[in-house]
Amino acid sequence: MHEMALMGDILQLVERDAASREINQIEKIELVVGDLSNALPDALEMAFTVFRARGIGRLSSNAQLIILKEHAKAKCTVCAHEYEPEARLTICPECQLPSGRLIAGETFKVQSYEGS
Amino acid sequence: MKVLLEEEVLTDNNLSAKFNRDLFQTSKTLVINLMSSPGAGKTTLLEKTVAALGEEFRIGVIEGDLATEKDADRIRALGAKAVQINTNGGCHLDARMVAKVLPEFDFEEIDLLFIENVGNLVCPSGYDLGQHHKVAVLSVPEGNDKIPKYPVMFRRTEMVILNKVDLLPYLDFDVQMAIEDLKGINPESKLLQVSARTEDGLDEWFAWIRAAYKQIEAQ
Ligand SMILES: Nc1nc2c(ncn2[C@@H]2O[C@H](COP(=O)(O)OP(=O)(O)O)[C@@H](O)[C@H]2O)c(=O)[nH]1
Ligand SMILES: [Mg+2]
Ligand SMILES: [Zn+2]
Repeated sequence: MHEMALMGDILQLVERDAASREINQIEKIELVVGDLSNALPDALEMAFTVFRARGIGRLSSNAQLIILKEHAKAKCTVCAHEYEPEARLTICPECQLPSGRLIAGETFKVQSYEGS
Repeated sequence: MKVLLEEEVLTDNNLSAKFNRDLFQTSKTLVINLMSSPGAGKTTLLEKTVAALGEEFRIGVIEGDLATEKDADRIRALGAKAVQINTNGGCHLDARMVAKVLPEFDFEEIDLLFIENVGNLVCPSGYDLGQHHKVAVLSVPEGNDKIPKYPVMFRRTEMVILNKVDLLPYLDFDVQMAIEDLKGINPESKLLQVSARTEDGLDEWFAWIRAAYKQIEAQ
C-alpha cells in the first residue's frame, strides 16, 4: 500500500548520495528487506518500475532493483535456542516460554547502489 | 562505481520524528499514538477521555483520516483543540505530516496530545511519530485472529485496549486467548478491557494516562 512512498524515499536517498559524488547515471540499487519489515518486495518492484518509466532523477532507463531478503530470526533468552519465528513470535519452540527476542527480520535498508 | 550505503530507508521519517520528540520533551507534553483498524473505537475512546480528563489536563488531538474533518469535529464539539490531517489516500500518518501541523498547537498550553492514526493495522506500525507511547485499540467484533495476523502492530505497541467488551456476551471473542496470543507476540504488552460505550474499564485507562503524564513531568 505505501510502497510507492517508500520507493520515493529510497530514490531520494540514493539521489542525494549520487549528487554528492557526481554520479549521473544510477544503474542498480540493492535493498535488504526483512520478512517483518512491513515492506512488500513485489510492490517495491512495481513501484520501482513506475518511477523508472517516469524517468525520475538520475535513474537510468534500464536500472535494476535487487532485493535481498532477510529472514526473521529469534533467539530465546532462556535456552539460547535460535529459531525462525512464526505467528507467535516470541514462543520458543524448545522451552515453550514467551522468551524469544527478534534478532533479524526487521531490516529495511539500501545496501548499495551502482552508477557512473 | 559501487557505493556501499547501508542506510535505513525511514531515515527521513526518523529525522522528523526526532524533531517532534524534542518538541514534546521540552514542552513536557505527553504524546500518545493510537492505532487500530477502522471502527475499533479510537475516536469514541478519545471523546470519553476528553470528557473525563478535560478539567484535569489541557488536551489536544490530531486526527488522521484519508478524508473529511468528521473526527476532529467530534473532538471539537467537546471543547478540545483538534487538528485534522487528511492523508488523501495515504494509509498511515508519518512524522513529517505531524510536524507540519504542530505549529497549530500552543505547546505551553497543552499537557496531553493524542494522535489518532489512520485506521489500519499494518502501515502505521512502521512509522515513528515522535510519540512517547504507542497504543493499539482492538475491538471485540474484529475477532480473535487479529493479534496473530498482524503481529508487527502488536509487537510495536506497549498496550492493547480491547474495546467494546459490552459486546462479549453476543460474540465468540475469547479474551483469555487474546491475552495468551499477545503474550506470545509481545510479553511486555498488556491488554486493557474497556467499553468506550458503557465506560467500563475506562478508569484504568485514565489511571495509566495519569501515571504516564507524571513520568514525563518528572523528567
Ligand atoms: N458497542 C460498542 N460500540 C462502540 C464502542 N466504542 C465505539 N463504538 C462504536 O463503533 C463505531 C466506530 O467508532 P469510532 O470511535 O468512530 O471508531 P474509529 O474508526 O476507531 O475512530 C461507532 O459506531 C461507535 O459508536 C463500544 O465500546 N461498544
Ligand atoms: Mg476515528
Ligand atoms: Zn527456549
